[in-house]
Amino acid sequence: MIALPEINPPLINASGILSYPEVFRALEASGAALGGYVTKSVGPAEGAGNENPVVVCPEDEGQPLLNSLALPTQSPEDWEADLAQTRLESSRLIVSIYGGGPDEFGEIAARMSPFADLIEVNLSCPNRVPGEVALMESIGQRPDLSGEIIGRVRDSTTKPVIAKLSPNSDYLAVAAACMDAGADGLGCGNTLGPGLAIDTVTGKAILAGTTGGISGPALKPVNLRMTYECYALFGCPIIGYGGIGSWEDAVEYTLAGACILGIGTAFLGKTTSEAARLTRRIWEGVQAYLGGAPFPEMVGRAHRDPAPEAARA
Amino acid sequence: MREIVRVIRNLAESLWTNTLFFDREIACEPGQFMMVWLPRLGEKPFTLSYPNGITVKRAGRFTEALTSLGPGDTLGLRGPLGRGYPLLERPALVGGGVGIAELRLLALRSDSPTFILGGRTAEEILYFDEFQSLGPVKVATEDGSLGEKGLVTDLLPVDAGSYAVCGPERMMVACRSILPDDRTHYAIERYMKCAVGLCGQCTCSGQRVCVDGPIFPGKMLESMPDFGHRRRSKSGRWEKI
Repeated sequence: MIALPEINPPLINASGILSYPEVFRALEASGAALGGYVTKSVGPAEGAGNENPVVVCPEDEGQPLLNSLALPTQSPEDWEADLAQTRLESSRLIVSIYGGGPDEFGEIAARMSPFADLIEVNLSCPNRVPGEVALMESIGQRPDLSGEIIGRVRDSTTKPVIAKLSPNSDYLAVAAACMDAGADGLGCGNTLGPGLAIDTVTGKAILAGTTGGISGPALKPVNLRMTYECYALFGCPIIGYGGIGSWEDAVEYTLAGACILGIGTAFLGKTTSEAARLTRRIWEGVQAYLGGAPFPEMVGRAHRDPAPEAARA
Repeated sequence: MREIVRVIRNLAESLWTNTLFFDREIACEPGQFMMVWLPRLGEKPFTLSYPNGITVKRAGRFTEALTSLGPGDTLGLRGPLGRGYPLLERPALVGGGVGIAELRLLALRSDSPTFILGGRTAEEILYFDEFQSLGPVKVATEDGSLGEKGLVTDLLPVDAGSYAVCGPERMMVACRSILPDDRTHYAIERYMKCAVGLCGQCTCSGQRVCVDGPIFPGKMLESMPDFGHRRRSKSGRWEKI
C-alpha cells in the first residue's frame, strides 16, 4: 500500500462540490482550513450532465439535499490543460475520476496522475440521465468489476488510490475487492439513494433527472456506519463523507475511523469567506476536542477504547 | 425557498421582451436572482424587475416558452439567491439591452438615480417613460433610433455618487475602463446549475457568482481576470467571452 500524502488539516471538499481549481484557489486565499481539494469527477469525454433543475434544496435545516448533476465533465484534454495551470499554495490536489469500464478508468488515471497527489476513483455516483442506464449502477454494486477497475487504476499510476464506495451496495464486498486489487484507502461514501422529490402543485418530479443522490444530515448516519464497518474490517485510511457540517460531525467520523473528512452539502448558500469560516470552525472544534493530542490518535478510537463504566453497567 | 406562482399578466415590453407578473410579491434585494422553473424545460436564473415580476428576452427554447405563458399558467421560483446591490448613493444606473431589466427595482429603491441606457435599437430600451419620471435618462442606440447614435460608453463618464452596471460582459468591460472601480458595481452572469454555491459551475476566477455575486464591486474585479475573458460552459469547458 502506498501511504496517503499528509493532508493538513485533514479536511477536504467532496467531489462535485466547488469542483474547479480556481474555486479551490479562492478558498485557499480566504484562509479555508482545507488541507486538500477534490476535483469534479473527470470523465472519458466532454458531457453536460443533466438539464436543470439539478438540485432540490432543503427548505429547513436538517433536511436532505437531492442532486442529479449526473457527472458533467470537460474532456480529459481540457482537464489536463486546467490542472497543468493549477498552483495550490499548501494544500493537496485530489483528482476524482470516472469511466465506463476498466479501460477508461485506467486511461484517465494515467492522464490525471501527473497532476494528482491522490486519485479518488468514483465507483458510485447514483445519478442517471433519463433514458440511459445509470453509469455507476453496474459498477459500484459489483465487487468483481470494482476490483478490476481499481486494479487497472493501480497499474496506471504511482499515486495513492482511493476507492469511493456507494452506500447503496454491498459495500463491504466491494471494498474487499478494491483492497485486494490494490486500493490504498476507501471513500465512505457517495450519496445515498437516489431519492425522489415531487412538486405537489404541478404534480411532477422536480429534478430534470427525476431522481437524485441524497446528501446532507440524512446521509450522515449511513456513511458513518460505512466508515465504522470499513475501518473495523480493513483498518485502512478512510475519507469520511456525508453530512459533515460541524466539528461534532467531524469528530464522530474520526472516532469511527476516518482520517480525512470531506465536506459537501454544508457549503450550501455560503460565500467564499463564509465557507472558509465554516472549515476553520470545524477544525478549531476538532482541535479543541483533541485537547493537544495528535489527530491520528483519535482515528478509529470508537473501536479501541473500553466502554465507559456507565455503559457497561 | 421554493414555490409555485401563478402568472396574472403577460405584458409585451418590446418586440422580443415580455414581463410576466405573478400572483404574489417576492421579498428580495435588488440584484438578487430567482431560479425560474418550467417543468420539463429547465430552470434558469432571472432577476426580478418587479416585486412580482420578471422581464424576459426571447433567446431560446426556454425563454420562448416562458414569454408565451398567460394568466393562470404556473411556474416555479427558487430564491431569492445571491448577494444584491448595497445601498447606492446618487447612483448612475448603466444598463445595456435586457440588462436594463435588473436596474428597475434598484432604481425604485435608490435616491436620485440617473439612467444611462444603451441598446441596438429603441426596442431594447426598456421602461423609458417610467425611468424619465424617476430621474434624468440618457440613451444611446447603435442605429440611432432613440437618443444618441452610438454605444452606452459614449455617454460616459457622467457625474454620480456611485455606479451600477448591468449588461453584456463586453459592454461592462468597456464601462469599467471609464468608471471608478471603488464606486461601481457590476452584475456578472454565468451558466448556473445548483445556484446555491455547491457545484462551482458559475465560477468567475474562483468566485461563485451564485453566492459571492451576482453583484460584484469593481474593486473586486481587479482580482478576477476571467471577467470579460472566459467562462465555463455547461460541461465545464472554458469558453471565450
